Amino acid sequence: MKQMNELRKYLWIARISARSNLSYVGDLVGRIVFLATVLFIFLKLWQTTFGQTGATHLGGLTLTQMLWYLTITEAILMSAPKVAQLVDEDVRTGALAMQLVRPMSYGWYRLASALGERYVRFTVNLLASALVTFLLVGPLPAAAGGLVLLAVALPLAFLLDFLGNFWVGLAAFWLEDTSGLLLIYSRGVLIIGGAFIPIDLYPPAVQPLLRWLPFANITSGPAHVFVDPNGGDLLALLVRQLAGAVVLGALVLLTYRAALRRVFVNGG
Amino acid sequence: MNNKNKLLNWLALAGAYFRLNLRAHMEYRGAFISQALAMAVNDFVWIVFWTLFFTRFPVLKGWDVKDVLTIWGLAATGFGLAATFCGNARVLASLVVQGQLDAWMLYPRRLLPHLVLGKMSASAWGDVVFGYAVYIFFVRPDAAHVLLFVLLSLSAALVFVGFFILAGSLSFFVGNAEVLAEQWTMILVTFSTYPETLFDGAVKLLLYTLIPAGFVSYLPVAALHHMSLPYTLCTVGGALLVLAAGITAFYVGLGRYESGSLIEMRG
Amino acid sequence: MNAVDLENLRKTFVLKRGGLFNRTTTEVVAVDGISLAVKQGESVAFIGPNGAGKSTTIKVLTGIMRPTAGAARVLGLVPWSDRSKLAYRIGAVFGQRSQLWYHLPPNDSFELLARVYNLPKNDYLKRRNMLIERFGLAPLIETPVRKLSLGQRMRAEIAASLLHSPSVVFLDEPTIGLDVVARQELRDLIREWNREEGVTVFLTSHDAGDIESVARRVIVINHGRVVLDDKVSTVRRKFLRSKIIGARFEELPGEINLNGVTVLKRSGYAIKLEVDTELTNMDVVTAAILHAGRVADITIEDPPLEDVIAHIYGQHNTKYAQASK
Repeated sequence: MKQMNELRKYLWIARISARSNLSYVGDLVGRIVFLATVLFIFLKLWQTTFGQTGATHLGGLTLTQMLWYLTITEAILMSAPKVAQLVDEDVRTGALAMQLVRPMSYGWYRLASALGERYVRFTVNLLASALVTFLLVGPLPAAAGGLVLLAVALPLAFLLDFLGNFWVGLAAFWLEDTSGLLLIYSRGVLIIGGAFIPIDLYPPAVQPLLRWLPFANITSGPAHVFVDPNGGDLLALLVRQLAGAVVLGALVLLTYRAALRRVFVNGG
Repeated sequence: MNNKNKLLNWLALAGAYFRLNLRAHMEYRGAFISQALAMAVNDFVWIVFWTLFFTRFPVLKGWDVKDVLTIWGLAATGFGLAATFCGNARVLASLVVQGQLDAWMLYPRRLLPHLVLGKMSASAWGDVVFGYAVYIFFVRPDAAHVLLFVLLSLSAALVFVGFFILAGSLSFFVGNAEVLAEQWTMILVTFSTYPETLFDGAVKLLLYTLIPAGFVSYLPVAALHHMSLPYTLCTVGGALLVLAAGITAFYVGLGRYESGSLIEMRG
Repeated sequence: MNAVDLENLRKTFVLKRGGLFNRTTTEVVAVDGISLAVKQGESVAFIGPNGAGKSTTIKVLTGIMRPTAGAARVLGLVPWSDRSKLAYRIGAVFGQRSQLWYHLPPNDSFELLARVYNLPKNDYLKRRNMLIERFGLAPLIETPVRKLSLGQRMRAEIAASLLHSPSVVFLDEPTIGLDVVARQELRDLIREWNREEGVTVFLTSHDAGDIESVARRVIVINHGRVVLDDKVSTVRRKFLRSKIIGARFEELPGEINLNGVTVLKRSGYAIKLEVDTELTNMDVVTAAILHAGRVADITIEDPPLEDVIAHIYGQHNTKYAQASK
């Protein structure tokens, strides 16, 4: 029964967080314009590339699929809540230290609020960028099936990104400023994670490594199963996501424990 | 004071602000270095990515990878220099919205050239170092090209300063301008890092007007290619136009501000 | 030439509210015809409740805002057209504006100001050293501002505003948040600067002590108009001399009958008194209170500014006046 109350509490937090994000209209318009710009530029890039190489498929995807791939990754990327900054702030203001009595609840609270925000922003971003992409290249074949697979791939993807951001935020216990580390992490997600071009187009030597790193399973993996729906691919993705979550989760826990020990020794 | 003395006087003032800004950043040396380094790493990762892409797909209709590196160098140094020396221009919208313009108006100086000096971005140093390094070490040009590049990077900086001011001046006319200004600026930065050969027609026109990426990187690349004076003059001319547009927008907006007719009433 | 001349100053704002479809426009009159003249060397307290039009007037005087109608001259200059020229002659210490860089020592900020105001190097150094001595800044001149106490910071701020030898300084709530000692120090410095250096002081404050210590003339603004413009000594005689004392006892208190003391309210174990400090002394009154019973709590406050202003109009509808009927 107590667990049910806990769960209800965190669902409520997620809902509040989601609702408060719907009111940022101006921010939304700005984001949509930027998304449209990126999609447009990449349309031109891919048109040029496909045109000049005379290929119909690159990395196993057509031009249309390529642009829809980008639609998804962009929607995921731009829906990221500022978890690292919030955790950093909580560390510096001592708010985190005050949660020492029940340290796990802080983590769950941050997760619930991040997921609430993320799902709302992702949905809005997706609708907007889907509209733009539809106007640019038309519809995606097998979209319905892809959508289902995407829906399955998203929760763990969001969890992975949360864990990565949370871990960067924890660095505030040791670093004077975490914004540098955060930038490196987000570049990782962007570039190592194959947000702009599918992993299949990367140098073949590094592809296996890149696929297993958590970065690729946040944006590239879900986007790929959407544009090229395949049950086997989805299963493989879920396995990698789960593995990544376990590893990152362990990393976060270890770091968390080390941080708390530091607080006890130094007195916050 | 005649005009030459006025300029020298302003340069001395800019130097003083530069030193003070840097000193303030040095109080938090760790943060400064990590932010600058992270930005340089960020830029570096991008060009590795694009180098790999354009090497694999040499599709740029006459442009090669070195040209891509060059436009990155120009965009990075232009943006970096602007945000380092005139960092307050970057945050003009929030200055206006938070009423901090008043404090600057109390000084016996022409408002705009003074207030832009008040802040320096730490991460922009990473952009500056990266931009020059990438051109010198990866494009490996001769001395003449390096000199021209430095000149063109200053011109690009002028474009960015003018553009920061233009975008920031939106706050005199429209609510929620901080987000709009930031996004518009990011769009300019984005376009500045992609080769012009990808675009045509109406978009090309856009890139020399509303999103003046043409003056940041495309024209300068042509200038460097041909070591051409006409292209260089066009570049600098375009930069001055953007700067003029920004200054005009600011002083028109300031007129509204002084009459107190901004959307929210303050104090 | 006067320090400040205002003739029938008027400022209206057009306030737009509402969303895209139901925009309402209201005209708000912030300043409704203010006329006043301040001679050089005067020290004036410019007071009034929030929203009375004080900050708007000051914004016009410093050249930040243009009025809707009327004339304004500061040191013979029209503020909003000659703003740069005027800026060399005026100084300002406002709450939201710090001239001192937070992470650096005051000395660095002073050097920058010298450059901003184009002060010749030797003149600047002489003046700076004099200010450091007079304001007691020597021990903290090389300490980053963020490490200074509020009192130290305010002293440095005011010194900074005097660096370019202005003839008029505008001070907005300079003593807010300061402890008693720092407050008195700052008041003494400001008064000294006015009386001895002849700098015209234009002070905005909610603190009666500031007004009494520093100003010789007080101008009260309410609803955008001048409501009172008189010498502080006159106003003190009428209003600033009263104190409100609230006392709570542990038993039913005895009677307090003193000349100059009015019992405003009496309920249960608590009483509220108004004390006219011109007619009696605080120590006499407090002794009488302590004599009246075992005291649990005493508060001593100035009458609120709104009451003072309402009083000025002769409107006796303050809560205290009502209770005493």
